[in-house]
Amino acid sequence: MEEVKIGVYVCHCGLNIADIVDVEEVSKYATTLPAVVVSRNYKFMCSDPGQNMIKEDIKELGLNRVVVASCSPLMHEPTFRGAIQEAGVNPYLFEMANIREHCSWITEDHKEATEKAKALVSAAIRRVYYHQPLEIKEVPVNPNTLIIGGGIAGIQAALEIADSEHKVYLVERDPSIGGHMIQFDKTFPTLDCSACILTPKMTSVGMHPYIELMTYSEVEEISGFVGSFKARIRKKARYVDEDKCNGCGVCVTKCPWKADSEFDLGLGERKAIYTPFAQAVPNIPVIDTEHCAYFLKGKCRACEKFCELGAIDFEQVDQIVEVEVGNIIVTTGYDSFDPTPITQYGYGKFDNVYTGLEFERICNAVGPTSGKIVLKDGSEPKSVAILHCVGSRDENYHEYCSRVCCMYALKYSHLIKERTDAEVYQMYIDMRCFGKGYEEFYKRLSEEGVNFIRGKAAEVTDRAINEDEEGKLIVCGEDTLLCKTIRVPVDMVILATALEPRSDAAEVAKLLTITQSADGFFLERHPKLDPVATMTEGVFIAGCCQGPKDIPDAVAQASAAATRVLALISKGRVELEAATAVIDEEKCSGCRICNLLCPYSAISFIVDEKVSRINEVLCKGCGTCVAACPSVAITHKQFTTEEITAEIEGVLV
Amino acid sequence: MSFEPKIVGFLCNWCSYRGADLAGTARMKCAPNVRIIRVMCSGRVEPAFIFQAFQLGADGVLVLGCHPGDCHYAEGNYKTLRRMALLEKMLPQLGIEADRVRLDWVSASEGDRFVSIVDDMTEKVRALGTFTQNSEKEKHG
Amino acid sequence: MKVLSPYKEATDVILEAGGEPLKLCYQCGLCTGICPWNLVRSFVVRRIMHEAQLGATDFGSEDAWTCVTCRACVQRCPRGVEIIDVMRAIRRAVASLGIGVVPDALRISAKNIAGVGNPLGEAPEKRDDWAKDIKVKTFASGTEILYFPCCIPSYDPDVKTVARSTVTIFNKLGIDYGLIGTEAKCCGESIRKAGYEDTFQSLAQNNINLFTSNGVKTVVVSSPHCYHTFKNEYPELGGKFEVIHITQYLASLIEQGKLKLSKKINKKVIYSDPCYLGRHNDIYDEPREILQSIPGLELIEFPDAREDGLCCGGGGGRIWMDTPKGERFSDIRVEQAVEKGADIIAVACPYCVLNYRDSVLSMGKAETIQVKDISELVAEAI
Repeated sequence: MEEVKIGVYVCHCGLNIADIVDVEEVSKYATTLPAVVVSRNYKFMCSDPGQNMIKEDIKELGLNRVVVASCSPLMHEPTFRGAIQEAGVNPYLFEMANIREHCSWITEDHKEATEKAKALVSAAIRRVYYHQPLEIKEVPVNPNTLIIGGGIAGIQAALEIADSEHKVYLVERDPSIGGHMIQFDKTFPTLDCSACILTPKMTSVGMHPYIELMTYSEVEEISGFVGSFKARIRKKARYVDEDKCNGCGVCVTKCPWKADSEFDLGLGERKAIYTPFAQAVPNIPVIDTEHCAYFLKGKCRACEKFCELGAIDFEQVDQIVEVEVGNIIVTTGYDSFDPTPITQYGYGKFDNVYTGLEFERICNAVGPTSGKIVLKDGSEPKSVAILHCVGSRDENYHEYCSRVCCMYALKYSHLIKERTDAEVYQMYIDMRCFGKGYEEFYKRLSEEGVNFIRGKAAEVTDRAINEDEEGKLIVCGEDTLLCKTIRVPVDMVILATALEPRSDAAEVAKLLTITQSADGFFLERHPKLDPVATMTEGVFIAGCCQGPKDIPDAVAQASAAATRVLALISKGRVELEAATAVIDEEKCSGCRICNLLCPYSAISFIVDEKVSRINEVLCKGCGTCVAACPSVAITHKQFTTEEITAEIEGVLV
Repeated sequence: MSFEPKIVGFLCNWCSYRGADLAGTARMKCAPNVRIIRVMCSGRVEPAFIFQAFQLGADGVLVLGCHPGDCHYAEGNYKTLRRMALLEKMLPQLGIEADRVRLDWVSASEGDRFVSIVDDMTEKVRALGTFTQNSEKEKHG
Repeated sequence: MKVLSPYKEATDVILEAGGEPLKLCYQCGLCTGICPWNLVRSFVVRRIMHEAQLGATDFGSEDAWTCVTCRACVQRCPRGVEIIDVMRAIRRAVASLGIGVVPDALRISAKNIAGVGNPLGEAPEKRDDWAKDIKVKTFASGTEILYFPCCIPSYDPDVKTVARSTVTIFNKLGIDYGLIGTEAKCCGESIRKAGYEDTFQSLAQNNINLFTSNGVKTVVVSSPHCYHTFKNEYPELGGKFEVIHITQYLASLIEQGKLKLSKKINKKVIYSDPCYLGRHNDIYDEPREILQSIPGLELIEFPDAREDGLCCGGGGGRIWMDTPKGERFSDIRVEQAVEKGADIIAVACPYCVLNYRDSVLSMGKAETIQVKDISELVAEAI
């Protein structure tokens, strides 16, 4: 074996490290360790001059191992691996010591920090001594993409990918795509009609030759890995033959049975056979078996009688479809917070207390009131209060800010002012108008004469204490700017309800082996620098499933996720984990313990040879089998027992 | 000067290591006593590593993985859980106090949890004092 | 012009006295909106928090003594601020550092408690006089239950019936209980909330030593205030006992079939949740279960029951202070009850009994409505 020559590079990271850790001492210390040929420290190792320093030392001093002591390897390991590879050294002959996140940033004790940095550097040096060059293998990427969720984010991502002539499977749980956005009336701050800007995109999705749209369908199982996933999708029975139906709607007209419309949040009705809204894509109805008289009582079949195309099929059953894709984008959106538990706001108790989403439907021209802003009794409200932060910024419900409520509350104020003569009162804690054109919109609404009261509403009551309050809903609270409690009698109350994670987000996370952050939304790989990737390669997230956001942000994320997918498709191959496990078949006793432990079924038993063997393509390199092998026959590349032992020795100097 | 215990931490790459990074990024103050060794999955941690750490002078060993059900490798942490349960039974025979070894879960978003586990463990190990092995105890005893 | 500058030293005094939670307040004003004081007069809770944050607290103001510690604000605070702790810290700063004025009535009660162990200033040896003509046992080692009635039922002639009813029930059922004797002192809950931490510590130590040396394992209490401090505060000081409120105890006896209520009470009864039983300790159902098992009794509810229940005005030391007519929560409560057509207001707290009975008398409603502790009703129905 050639002589091991290690170069050690201690980074100051400006003052991030150097302020706490004595970098000079750490690099001096490194020179005392075996096989260390050179040890330097520098202001920014990740900068070009920093990287060049390493490359030059490799050439001039013949280094064949490199240790960089700087930030977390999750930040810059790829940077430095790339640098030494350019200088002709195998990228795996490298190790990082994390003396920033785990050291200078968690303590102010200079001495302890320096001692710890030394220990971490010593561990990296001892460990890298044993590193072996690894070969990175590649497998082809399946150019198809699965997108889960057909709201604005899913639609955007699907179109971006499909427009580059790569196949997309877009799976939507509801009978139509469109998501929450299609339920909205206008969009802030420009007041574009939501449907007007969304339906062209929905139509494009429906007609796109590269998009296979699966509505009324749910993903049940995902297997495989980046480049080659398999998804099992359940297409729920619509009881309408999609190939025969032309969307004429006569079945809907003739159906005598009604149910509450989910699309109108129960404020309106629909038939038992229905499309959720007029511009639905696809424009193919579904039969709701819970309200269809045929399914309930065995007779009716009116829809069937009137369908000239014979598209009604009561015998239809759920279908299971399997698709193969290289990448997955999750765009499952959010749920609207149910304010019923906040009893003091009287939602569900008083007729004219609405959630934000319900009010969207009331404003909508094709909504339950045909866009007229009216009370339950049909009359126009003379005053409306909008209560901010309902379920948001409240640790009894959701600690986070839902980011869109201030703006949609302003939008509602505008719509109320535009369509009625009502006074509008907003009860807010802080106005958060952070986006492009948002503050300007706030100013515009001030001009329109909206009343802003700073204070969180304490209660909505119908108990009047004077004549003016008779028959009104009275919003009580403190006007914190006046230091006075106030009572605002109004006709209608709109609760600016929070955006919350989908009720089944945990199951979806499990399905895709992605994680949720503390608030329940899906966790991105890095909060700033990798916002649409997840810890699972090939699975991306976009839109509100990652956290509350407005439409422009959701669209931007969707495009970002599509770009990430297209980059992989365009490259055409993915690198396999090089740090996999291998079995020394000489040592293998054939006990098969590892076979059962492997979560990827990557280990199979070769009956003829009585040994187990690992499929390197399937192995993800977790090392669980290695730890369990009673014959010590399995080696975990890059995490060998030798390497880890050296590291333990190193941290304990 | 007070006794500063040395604790070896085995942290999985996907949850706990990121949780530890987050503690740093958020500048949460935390006992510097845990020296972290990154493994891909807590399932890689062999009991032998833990014994080796004690032999080589560690006063405590902390193993952190993803929360049960959240493992990046589907179920590696369950394997760890079972393995550690067996290990815990062996500790007294080897003269290792239960508080010197801890298995816990920290997700990538739980920097604060990482800090509280580390601080708590550091204090417990500090209270126990330096670890000296049974054999040595006998020798000196 | 008078300009305000932040005065960190004042904030520090409050923080050191246990006001740490004030840091979390983000000034939404929900607390003010919820606070029952604003039904009768202005009390801007939020401003008190902000003044404390900036060290602008007026330690001489009566605001420091206004809070009834009913927990309505804390229960719903979006930042989870323990507002009562902040109020208590401000009071501690005044009471122990002398940087403000303690209201006279409170000062006298505090003196009585510190001196003779009860707020009424009565002789300690008379503590058990309420039971003179009833057969009661003195707690001895091995007795199953210690009954601790609270100072008010022990001394106040109008509330004595609460304690007397309780032991009558116990005697009828043959329950193995005892009284701890005249060395017992006030539980200290309210005086602690009033800022007298040292007094509380010494009362608690006295009672803990007394209970422990007598081998007490289980304490049944009539007052939710005793319940609160025995259950949630004494353990930190080394006093660990099983603490049961009388309503919990009676409800369990009914459920086990040991207590049968056979006499009819054909009345409309409205139950008012005591703050320290409900919001502070989440006990809402047991009192209602007892009332519903009394034959003939029709249980009705206040418009704001359970979690939203209005305070009687007696918490946080206010029981010893005078609240002017027109500002008494108990008056509002009595009015509400009359409006609902109730014959009896049922309560489960001696402070509530005292305040509501005062209100009924001062409002001239004695003919229309009565105030009864649940133990009194049970004693009648047994």
